[in-house]
Amino acid sequence: MASHAAASGRKGWRMSFCLSNPLPCARALSPRGRSMVNNLKSYLRRAEFAALVAMPVLLAGCNPADFPASTFAPRSDLGHWVQGVYLETIVWDSLILALICGLIFLLLTRYSTRAREDQPGPPPPHGESIELEIAWTAGPALILLFIAVPSLRIVFRSQPATPPPHSLIINVTAHQWWWQFDYPGLGVETADEVHIPVGRPARFLLNSADVIHSFWVPGMGGKRDVIPGHVNELTFTPDTPGEYIGECAEFCGLSHANMKFRIFVQTPVDYANWLANQTSGPRNANQGAAAAGEHVFLTSACTTCHAIKGVSSGYIGPNLTHFGSRTTFAGSIYVNTPANVAAWIEDPEALKPGAQMPPLGLRGKELDQLVAYLESLK
Amino acid sequence: MSPQEHTAEAGDHDSRTFAYLVVAGILAFLTAFEVWVSYVHALQPVLVPLLVVLSGAKFALVVLFYMHLHYDSWAFSGIFLPGLALAASVVIVLVGLMVRFFAGF
Amino acid sequence: MVALPKHIEAEESYLHGGGILSWLTTIDHKRIAVLYGVTVLFFFLAGGIEALLMRIQLARPDNTFLSAYLYNEMFTMHGTTMIFLVVMPAGLGFFANFVVPLQIGARDVAFPRLNALSYWIFLFGAIVLNVGWLYNMAPDAGWFGYANLTESYYSPGLNINLWTLGLLISGVGSVLAGINLLTTVINMRAPGMTFMRLPLFVWSMMVMFVLILVAFPPLTVGLIFLAMDRFFGTHFYRVVAGATPLLWQHLFWLFGHPEVYIMALPAFGIISEITPTFSRKPLYGYPAMAYSTALIGFLSYGVWAHHMFAVGMGPAADSAFALTSMLIAIPTGIKIFSWIATMWGGDLKMKTPLMYAIAFVIQFTMGGLSGIMHAQPPVDLQQTDSYFVVAHFHYVLFGGTAFALLGGLYYWWPKITGRLLNEKLGRLQFWTMVVGFNLTFFPMHLLGAEGMPRRIYRFSPHMGWDSVNLLCTIGAFIMAASVAILLINILLTMRDGELAGPDPWDGRGLEWKIPSPPPAYNFSTIPIVRSRDQFWHDKYGYESGVVPPAPLPAHENEDSGHIHMPAPSIYPLLLALGITMAVVGMLDWLRVALCGAALTLFCAIAMAFEYREAGSENPEAVGIFTGLDNRKVGVWSFIASESLFFASLIATYLVYKGRDLGGPTAETILEMPLVIGTTFILLMSSVTMVLAQEGYRRGDRTWGLRWLFLTIFFGSVFLAGQVFEFHTFYTEGMSLGTNLFSQTFYTMVGFHGAHVAIGVIILLSLVGASFTDWFKERHRDIAVECAALYWHFVDIVWIVIFSIVYLMRSIAKA
Repeated sequence: MASHAAASGRKGWRMSFCLSNPLPCARALSPRGRSMVNNLKSYLRRAEFAALVAMPVLLAGCNPADFPASTFAPRSDLGHWVQGVYLETIVWDSLILALICGLIFLLLTRYSTRAREDQPGPPPPHGESIELEIAWTAGPALILLFIAVPSLRIVFRSQPATPPPHSLIINVTAHQWWWQFDYPGLGVETADEVHIPVGRPARFLLNSADVIHSFWVPGMGGKRDVIPGHVNELTFTPDTPGEYIGECAEFCGLSHANMKFRIFVQTPVDYANWLANQTSGPRNANQGAAAAGEHVFLTSACTTCHAIKGVSSGYIGPNLTHFGSRTTFAGSIYVNTPANVAAWIEDPEALKPGAQMPPLGLRGKELDQLVAYLESLK
Repeated sequence: MSPQEHTAEAGDHDSRTFAYLVVAGILAFLTAFEVWVSYVHALQPVLVPLLVVLSGAKFALVVLFYMHLHYDSWAFSGIFLPGLALAASVVIVLVGLMVRFFAGF
Repeated sequence: MVALPKHIEAEESYLHGGGILSWLTTIDHKRIAVLYGVTVLFFFLAGGIEALLMRIQLARPDNTFLSAYLYNEMFTMHGTTMIFLVVMPAGLGFFANFVVPLQIGARDVAFPRLNALSYWIFLFGAIVLNVGWLYNMAPDAGWFGYANLTESYYSPGLNINLWTLGLLISGVGSVLAGINLLTTVINMRAPGMTFMRLPLFVWSMMVMFVLILVAFPPLTVGLIFLAMDRFFGTHFYRVVAGATPLLWQHLFWLFGHPEVYIMALPAFGIISEITPTFSRKPLYGYPAMAYSTALIGFLSYGVWAHHMFAVGMGPAADSAFALTSMLIAIPTGIKIFSWIATMWGGDLKMKTPLMYAIAFVIQFTMGGLSGIMHAQPPVDLQQTDSYFVVAHFHYVLFGGTAFALLGGLYYWWPKITGRLLNEKLGRLQFWTMVVGFNLTFFPMHLLGAEGMPRRIYRFSPHMGWDSVNLLCTIGAFIMAASVAILLINILLTMRDGELAGPDPWDGRGLEWKIPSPPPAYNFSTIPIVRSRDQFWHDKYGYESGVVPPAPLPAHENEDSGHIHMPAPSIYPLLLALGITMAVVGMLDWLRVALCGAALTLFCAIAMAFEYREAGSENPEAVGIFTGLDNRKVGVWSFIASESLFFASLIATYLVYKGRDLGGPTAETILEMPLVIGTTFILLMSSVTMVLAQEGYRRGDRTWGLRWLFLTIFFGSVFLAGQVFEFHTFYTEGMSLGTNLFSQTFYTMVGFHGAHVAIGVIILLSLVGASFTDWFKERHRDIAVECAALYWHFVDIVWIVIFSIVYLMRSIAKA
């Protein structure tokens, strides 16, 4: 059953990613190119970048769009800043590595004496040059300076003392092993999937309900640890609508691998529509299987942990008010299909080791009704 | 070891014993002073730097005289002082970082 | 063991003779090195198998070969094993132990029995770490063990208990080995072996020993807090009490980053030996190499928070740690260019050790360059905790350090066993290792760039990680094949490999001057050193125009020609057992803990008087070249290390000061009059201690004992005062776990009290000894001085604690 659910889930994902993933390299280059230096820089970046993209493509033998969590496809201001520093460092690193490898290559071709190794002659001459030693001390120091200055500028720019005006604040609470998103002042609470409008700074205030996690959206440019008892913050302005994978990056226990989330960057209109739907209560389930399912929900243990606006008020597990409107569930690792949800309710532990939701013992018709109810919560 | 050397060393050690007793007096005085300082209300704003200086002086006296760094080979200072410097910087940097963290930088 | 080469007098080899018992009681540094070597090899295979199982699991998406639980155990134990039980003991226990005394012209390390003790503690610690496998309860929170996941609320099982206690135990062994070997390098050098004539291997090792002394105390303190949280109900890392789990990260990385260099410095040293030997040229830029080694060691202590850029320390702290981290690249660059310059223009003999050295230079450079990437906080935000970092540190620790260690193994194997490893198999092993290593770890850069986080037991097929992961798995199996070739090589050449002779590589260091394998006493006469690469100049003379320097005058206590090696001892093994029992007893077996403590005390005292019973002093207690006493050098090293221990405790007290969520505080509960009194008494005990010491120096037993008794009395009064104080607080309702103040106060003041108590025991044993023949011995006042140094140190710690805790009690926050 579980494997069936997982299989169907996989298929669904693949489709969703083929549709929603832009080419990682499409907008990687800085649009600025004012001077010769910048031209040269951008040329170097282009070359380096081509190599970096070519490598996984060669190795994996497939399309770059197949890397939905790539760190080389920034779609936010933060992402572009980070990538600027990243590529610059890669260029310097490659030059240094080429120098070292070149020297060693020359060394091996010129001085290798394997053939006459057993006839020791007089020791070869040797001498030292203080100029050389100064050069290889000062050279790297200079390169480090070139690397450090732009990088430190970004450090300060990405962590401003005052948050940008008009930013959308989202409170993130990390749980073992799912993400809770609250929109303060808007009365919206969702899990594992968060929607933000394009072009507006999104300010994620991060807190943890249990252990340390880390909030990472590779496409948005970086991660920030989520520490219990402390509010951390990550701010970025997305620039391209789309669906982006988020991951927990800090080991947080048994199902650390199963703690993903998704960011939906939407056009202002789409976002407004989504918000309007979320701020309203759940659709009334007044007929058919869904109505029976609501009864199952109310009479089972579900209500102790899960909230549905106007129906129940549990707070331990994810808020289910608009469960049917989400594309994935359970730490965003399963596609939200009736079959997957049914499999989950039957045995959460089998689908996600350590899951804190207990098996409820619901079978057959009751289970189908409950699933129908949950899926009706659009 | 010749008799003269012996006497010279003995003399050196007599003066050391004298130094030990003087240091003991200073230590007792400094401790009393520290305690007094900690009770004076007017000195509260400068209490921390004042106590750092006073206990630093006590610390240095014990290390230099009772632990013989003043008399002994530089090698022992060479082992201890870097460790002490690191220990002091660990306290300062760690406390600084954590206080900023609690304050939300 | 190894079949001995016939041309060596069989009785002379250190490997000759004795059954199991002689290995259990051995205190010969070379035999202990072999013990370390065998243990390290075993754990290398264990850690390697753990890695292979993980790679099988990740070979394809959604694999079910390992469960999540088992996978978490695997990566935790793979990291813990490779770092604490393989790479570090390979450098510290195996190479340093075997080679350092030979290269500095010594007959053994400074404290041979302490050396054995370090090994046995390390072994027992390793067993405690791994014993959980038998119950399917191996540690499972990562080698970095981030609190608060390691708190019993989130990890209730035996797993983390074993991890905490195992690391505590093996850490004690590492610090003891560091003290021992640092003392050896400082004080046991042959006449004329100045610091600027030391082989660079010894330089690197010396810096590493210092790092061990200063890096382990913060880890020990962090582990003590964790153990107290788990066993005694404190909350050093628990948010509910106002504490923060971030404290663990700081304490851990204060240890963790120097630890990287603790592992890398031996590699630097080995490469600095191999490249000159196989190029037949002296090391290029020796002074710059020596100073850059020291600089790397120093800088490595100031960069720990670059592991924590994602934590959100603020832009100023991020920038500061980014800059210090980047600075390390400069001395490291000096090293890399100097190695290349050493080989440049030389007669390169392409033997296996040199091939490993060249691969090291390239791969370590790659690891260093990716290190420069995540020294940039913005880039680090994309790379940290992803597979990019996994690739990075494997390039540093495997492609770098482990390659150097393998090169060093081929290089010194003939010295250790007397036989050469097979060169053809060696080359095959090298090339399979290079291919396997790069195939495994280079693609991991790409996985990281494609967004694959670390420590995930499964991944989904649509992420684009499938084929690259499969490639890594294939590479891992090629590496496994390479390790198998190494084992075959060892087995094949052990009995009938080519005899090495004393100097198979045309070497430069003193170790090539003596037979292979060396006799138990190493050098029949202690060599006199007049220049760097002394043995090379012995063979080839000095270049024209160079006037060989006159030998430096040795200390008067010169080598008498009479070789006296200390007798074997069983106490190190028993003492290690006692310490292990005392620590493991914390798992709720009070009797075991008490028996362990009793055994520890008994063995410690028995060891202190062992040589006296045998009727002789350790003949090399005083350095031939320096004239300093080993024991004093050792005690000072110990005190330097202890400074960091108390610094970590004090820092924790200050960090948590004023953050209690209720309960007593320093201002409300501390009673000053009593403490002022006991503080005076403890200060005065330092005065009585120096006076007692004067008595012992003069041979005046009555005078000495009088002041010694007074010191013991003062110490006991101080302790009684502390017991009374603790009891009062306890009856007032402040127990250990009441709040942040209670736990930091009891821990810091309590550990200081424990030090005073140990001091009293040491002084009592001196009183006892004063009534025996020991009093007539030449160096008795040194023993008293060592006890006194410890006593004064405990006193100066109290000077600091008294100010910070008691006198600053009304200061609200740090």
